[in-house]
Amino acid sequence: MAPPSSTQFRRAWRFNPAHLFALPAMGILALFILYPFLDVLRFSTWDWSGLSAPKEVGLENYRQILRDAAFWASLRTTLYFMAMALPAFVILAVLLALALDGQRYERPVKALLFLPGLVTLGGATLSWYTLFAPEYGALAALVPIPRWDQEVFWALVLVVLFTLWRHVGYGVLVVSARLKAIPRTLLEAAAVDGATAAQAFRYITLPLLRPAITFLLVIGTVLALQSYSAVFLLTRGGPFGGTRVLGYYLYETGFENFRLGYAAAITVIVLILTLSFAYAQARLLREGE
Amino acid sequence: MIRHLFVLITAFLVALPFLWMAFAAFIPQEIVYSGELLSRFGFTLANFQVLAKEGFWGRMGFSLAVSSLVTFLQLFTAFLAAYAIKEGLKVLPFFLLLLAVPAELLLVPLYGLLKSLHLLDTVWALILPFAASPFIVFLLYGAMRSIPEELLEAARLDGAGHRVLLSRILFPLMRPTLVAAGVLAFAAHWNLVLYPRIVAGEEWKTVQTWLTDLQRKYPADWGILSAAALAATLPLVLIYLVYERRVIESVEKGLKG
Repeated sequence: MAPPSSTQFRRAWRFNPAHLFALPAMGILALFILYPFLDVLRFSTWDWSGLSAPKEVGLENYRQILRDAAFWASLRTTLYFMAMALPAFVILAVLLALALDGQRYERPVKALLFLPGLVTLGGATLSWYTLFAPEYGALAALVPIPRWDQEVFWALVLVVLFTLWRHVGYGVLVVSARLKAIPRTLLEAAAVDGATAAQAFRYITLPLLRPAITFLLVIGTVLALQSYSAVFLLTRGGPFGGTRVLGYYLYETGFENFRLGYAAAITVIVLILTLSFAYAQARLLREGE
Repeated sequence: MIRHLFVLITAFLVALPFLWMAFAAFIPQEIVYSGELLSRFGFTLANFQVLAKEGFWGRMGFSLAVSSLVTFLQLFTAFLAAYAIKEGLKVLPFFLLLLAVPAELLLVPLYGLLKSLHLLDTVWALILPFAASPFIVFLLYGAMRSIPEELLEAARLDGAGHRVLLSRILFPLMRPTLVAAGVLAFAAHWNLVLYPRIVAGEEWKTVQTWLTDLQRKYPADWGILSAAALAATLPLVLIYLVYERRVIESVEKGLKG
């Protein structure tokens, strides 16, 4: 009998010219994502303005961050923002997906919900700004608009609402895709056994939705820790730095105050935070199963 | 009943900024300044004339060109990469890993890289880093995997090479996914806000950068701002309306894994 392992081995390692087709994508991504991703560690040990020659400072940037009151304030702001946005995001996505499931208008409404995240950012913020500006905004004529230009809480609410508006459609698609994968027969069987709708939801639908919810929480954390575009466009971190989330603080430090080395160190910290949050959530939810 | 009402209210709130944008773009200046935005009715095209004067159409054409080119490049590189993976190259983990790298946090190191490559403040800074996307690779690979192997096998027996397989068999079969991926790629690039401001300089201003400048220049001119927002949003809304079913289906299918 011929040794099968040697042919198998050769087949596994046989060169296929089609494999070369991956080179353009892999080359570009290695250069413009992987390399910068690794390089940020090196930058974070520099004192560097982008214009001047970089100066090696070791861990000085990290030491400074630990003593930086503005950094801690922006970390707190980010956590507030997450505490407001994340539960609302998940609950809204689940409720909408459930409400839409099997309705005649499911498709058009889903399409509409997905639209804000896809279609526009700059345009959308202009529209929000002109609608919700306190005193002069279009809605201010009809209903009193809280002074989000002066009160930190309402500024955060505005950014949260905007973020929900942009991303809830994606959340609905995630939950919906999962919902459709639940076998009808399971729910029918429960109905035959005399389960109420609430019981069926609690003991069948919800547990089966768990992977989708985990996914949303992880995605949501990543989005929340890194979101700064909405802040940049709507409030510019104000009032009084009350909406200066970590991502925006990073931008300000690097590209308005031109401390790129310091900003790189913040990037590293945000990355570590993101990864540990996402990891912890994935673990916790899996253990709960 | 509550269910319908909940959906109806949410849908209205989500649509509201768009409806307002379409309405406010045609409001005459004097109504804006009198503050009677919703009580008095007026219609004018003057806001769009201001946009033209501010150089809007040039920025629009530029953004359309750059985002289209990037979309084409992303689809092209991803299509080839997905094929290589389907042909047994074990690099999917590489793309999944990169998918998890938050692109937004690369602002600083990417700036450094572009600087040392002398690409800063050139149009290439808007194009080259986006010539490939791990997400699009992932999406296209998912669709390619679902194409029955017998189909490719039959073509191979007839002597078809890689080029024929790709262009005559896979490309037509994957057209719906390619379209959906194209819409997503285009939107992602079109919506970049901070990145182009930092790397592309004055000369290569995109529509989004131009919009934030306009907001600073006319902070209270609702009509002009809304006209700009509407015009900058319309291309994407139109593309989306045409391909909406494919986009939603592809995203849902991609999520099921």
